[in-house]
Amino acid sequence: MTDFRGYAEADVTFAPGLTAVLGANGQGKTNLLEAVAYLATLGSFRGAPPDALIRDGADRAVVRGEVERDGRELLLEAELVAGGRNRAQVNRQPLRRARDLLGALRVTVFSPDDLALVKAGPGERRRFLDDTLVALHPRNDGVRGEVDRVLRQRNALLKQAGGRLSPEVELTLDVWDAKLATAGEALARARTDLLAELAPAVGVAYAEVAQREVAVEAIYAPAWSRVDGGLAGALAAGRPEDLRRGLSLVGPHRDELELRLRGLPARTHASQGEQRSLALALRLAAHRVVAVATGTPPVLLLDDVFSELDPGRSDALLAHLPAGQTILTTAGALPPGARPDQTLTIHDGTIVPPAPARTKP
Amino acid sequence: MAVYAAPVQELIDELGRLPGVGPKSAQRIAFHLLKLSREDALRLAKAVVEAKDRVAWCTRCFNVAEGELCGICTDDRRDATVVCVVEEPRDLVAVEKTQEFRGRYHVLGGAMSPIEGIGPEHLRVKELLARIDAEEITEVILCTNPNIEGETTAMYLARLLKPLGLRVTRIASGLPVGGDLEYADELTLGRALEGRRELEG
Repeated sequence: MTDFRGYAEADVTFAPGLTAVLGANGQGKTNLLEAVAYLATLGSFRGAPPDALIRDGADRAVVRGEVERDGRELLLEAELVAGGRNRAQVNRQPLRRARDLLGALRVTVFSPDDLALVKAGPGERRRFLDDTLVALHPRNDGVRGEVDRVLRQRNALLKQAGGRLSPEVELTLDVWDAKLATAGEALARARTDLLAELAPAVGVAYAEVAQREVAVEAIYAPAWSRVDGGLAGALAAGRPEDLRRGLSLVGPHRDELELRLRGLPARTHASQGEQRSLALALRLAAHRVVAVATGTPPVLLLDDVFSELDPGRSDALLAHLPAGQTILTTAGALPPGARPDQTLTIHDGTIVPPAPARTKP
Repeated sequence: MAVYAAPVQELIDELGRLPGVGPKSAQRIAFHLLKLSREDALRLAKAVVEAKDRVAWCTRCFNVAEGELCGICTDDRRDATVVCVVEEPRDLVAVEKTQEFRGRYHVLGGAMSPIEGIGPEHLRVKELLARIDAEEITEVILCTNPNIEGETTAMYLARLLKPLGLRVTRIASGLPVGGDLEYADELTLGRALEGRRELEG
């Protein structure tokens, strides 16, 4: 990578098994994982805007990765341009749209922020579902993008209407509603299908991480899906309120993925430890569902997760991590259960040891 | 802070307002223009003035025209009962190049996009509706762009036109001819599957 976050230039080869990345805080461990994840998702798992990923003073950043997939070698390249369009190439062939890169490499990220999956508002859980959908099938990125775009257009129209429904606005709103209903139901359908596989997997993963059998439920059941006429019907019914507020109040962008432990909402009723286990279980479950569906387990990126876990949960997580390529970072000691095939130390944006010279054996 | 002499900066600013021209390109074009001989530069300036003075919008279809009506609207070999609705004159040119369409056009002047403040009242929708009876139009082909705004505009027009009892069609989305399925993007291929046709056996 070049000029990505704090790295002016770095080149690293990861072991096929477990790589441990060590180093004090603020040296660039997370940035390294972020670069790997960027090639997979074209975004920051920390939710940073693209410009924040470019090194201070540089006007572009490049992340380049050689990956092996189904026995095929792929050279993936993503370029971030400050204030400009991002570009991507596969095997030196420029892609028409950067997002065509999605799916070439898949990652599962565990980070200390994952607790927000359980504790924070529904937005985090929707993002989790939709990110998993994109990992399962890159086409879903288009579905999500269409919903976002139609929503922005509809909201702009609602604001311009200023609370009044003139015949002209009504006619225009009708078509945006129809468009939102189609796109929104497609997204909700994809989420529902995902939940059918994900929900049982969450239960299994929770039992492994928490080391006890507890009833875990993950429910996606939008209120609008029970309205006559589905989303179109709900949009029609909610129109007066939408107009009054100048905002779309019904749709997949307001839906909740409900998490329950022992029949009670996990967000408000579970202990901190249970919430942490549930967050891990969600990630682990998504990882397994994607691995089964695509036939290739995603690369696991564990960003400083052990600092937040008690030894029991750390060991349980390590014991149940699926075999495959894994990169973990830690500022402290490795948990006793971790046996890395490779250890890297990061100091001030430099990776030690450097990647071996590229010579074919 | 002004880095360039005022006339140069003004030129850069004006160029920078053109579509697809960013600040860097504007600067490059400005310096290119300054390097040109006086005649070459004036020829460009004159071409802009001429185009601006002599070209207007066709009063019927809103294509670019050199008189009251454009070349297509004055061509009486064309079928006046079929109208192809496009967003911009350049889309008209694209359809025209196919030489498949022998009817007339209607240029909307854009697509519905509340974000950019464009509603149907900013497009030439009323003008289209007024043409239906006046020109005895029997079919309208909606040829707006296959993106969210274009699709929504087409849906809007269809809802207005259908009750008038004429044939309303939408161009198909599909695969580029001579291409390979393998390289088609999924969205397009999905649409192409949706719009499949029965083969004459």
